[in-house]
Amino acid sequence: MSSRRKRGIVLKAYGFLVYFFLYLPLLIVLVFSFSPTKTIVGMSGFTLKWYQELFRDGNLMAAFVHTLLIGGAAVGIAIVLGTAGAFFVSRASFPGKSVFRTLVLLPYILPGILMGISILVVIKALGIPLSPLTVLLGHVSFTVPVVMFQIMSRIARMGPNYQSAAMDLGANPVQTFWYVTLPMIRTAIIGAALLAFTVSFDEIVISYFLTGTWMTLPVYIYGMMRYGLSPKVYAISAIILLLSLALIMLMSRYTGRYAEVYRARAPKG
Amino acid sequence: MEKRISPPRTLLRGVPMAVWMLLLVLVPLGYTFVTSFFQVEGLQIAAKVTLKNYALFFTDPMYSGILAKSMLLSLAIAVLGVLAGYPLAYLVSFRVRRGRQALFMLSIIPLWVSYLVRIIAWRTILGNKGVINSALVASGLIHEPLTFLLYNRFAIAVTLTYICIPFVFIPVYTALEKIPRNILEASSDLGAGEMRTFVSIVLPLSLPGLVTGFIFAFIIALGDYIIPQQLGGTQGIMFGNLIWSQFGFAFNWPFGAALSFILLAITVTILGLTSRFGSTEGGFIGE
Repeated sequence: MSSRRKRGIVLKAYGFLVYFFLYLPLLIVLVFSFSPTKTIVGMSGFTLKWYQELFRDGNLMAAFVHTLLIGGAAVGIAIVLGTAGAFFVSRASFPGKSVFRTLVLLPYILPGILMGISILVVIKALGIPLSPLTVLLGHVSFTVPVVMFQIMSRIARMGPNYQSAAMDLGANPVQTFWYVTLPMIRTAIIGAALLAFTVSFDEIVISYFLTGTWMTLPVYIYGMMRYGLSPKVYAISAIILLLSLALIMLMSRYTGRYAEVYRARAPKG
Repeated sequence: MEKRISPPRTLLRGVPMAVWMLLLVLVPLGYTFVTSFFQVEGLQIAAKVTLKNYALFFTDPMYSGILAKSMLLSLAIAVLGVLAGYPLAYLVSFRVRRGRQALFMLSIIPLWVSYLVRIIAWRTILGNKGVINSALVASGLIHEPLTFLLYNRFAIAVTLTYICIPFVFIPVYTALEKIPRNILEASSDLGAGEMRTFVSIVLPLSLPGLVTGFIFAFIIALGDYIIPQQLGGTQGIMFGNLIWSQFGFAFNWPFGAALSFILLAITVTILGLTSRFGSTEGGFIGE
């Protein structure tokens, strides 16, 4: 019994170490963003001046707005395409369906460099200059599978009976979708949108190839990093970090096996 | 089983997805493949079919050497990712009762935290004036900063392992959660200790998740070019950087396309080989 206990403690200690490894770097970024000096040893005091400097950097602010715009547009397109695609793949049967599913997943599974380069090769061959539109194309490529697979797993749990019942009771397809299906997948859609936005928000690997002078925030920061890690880089990193965390917290309420439970518990309205 | 095809009206709903797939997946990948048989003349890409891009890769040992080194490093990263991620998933799935949901979230949150921020964090930790060096110098243990921490394969391995842990955690955790707990009770009732139960029941049943996680980590590591660029220095050039440089200053897109296609072939082969064995669900987008 005691050796079992001992093993349990060793495992827990190991787990604690892994969590430490996962979170210490993030904490360090946060600490550095408030440090008046560039070193952490002998760090004295606390300053917000790097954050103030961020707001004075017009290019950085513009890049931030660009990121929000691209994220919003990519998520909007992905929700429409991904939801339609999820119902199509879940409900339709046709030869080559599993191939279709795999192909949808490719932009997410394949290394980002491959998607970025292949889209770049095509748009260059077509003579299309790099623009916000090309960045958006890149982001639509990987946000669609994110949304589609989130919605598909909700559809799988929902089963086809509710729609059949609505149809039997005389609802037309539009009414069935609006009054039965949509309320049931609503939380999945919100969760998928948040997830897709989070992914789009800090995507760089694909964006890097498709960005011209109109830069998104990660591409802009990547440019800043060429001149070393300035305190400003830490400040913007800290903001991104906290924003991502907020998005994930919000998302976790809407997705997963616990979403329905959450919905049932949530007060009306 | 009889194959059934849905009526045309249902199939019509697949058109938007099919258009998306054509425009953003099939045409780009297909055209990249075509480009890999072209060549550069002056500063133009000439549509003259040639095999010399592939010939260059297979004859010049420098290129295949970089690929071999990258695969080896990616293998090490995948192993490290499993060594960190598997015990964590086991701990959360089997050993924690209260706060399991919170620990689950804590394990996958890093997945969604900005990739760039995590790179910045590791440069900060491993740098010459970084956290580790400053702490060691300040404590008097060393006088000169350790230089083996940054700008080499060690730094790449640490950072990519860090990135890969949640990717290993999710499929392993999903597999562990599926193991019926009464089998474990039966094993215990029959006198098997925890170790025996783990080796003969838990490990084999979670193997598909383990394989999936391992493959994810390997593919992520093999395709990365930003981490080697930021933390790898000159000795840490990986296959991704080689591809990247063909589109940058080397300006040899057809050769870059050929290298991309080689990476695609490796990735798809690995995914294809393991899809029968590993679990496809519980992947990294799954709930």
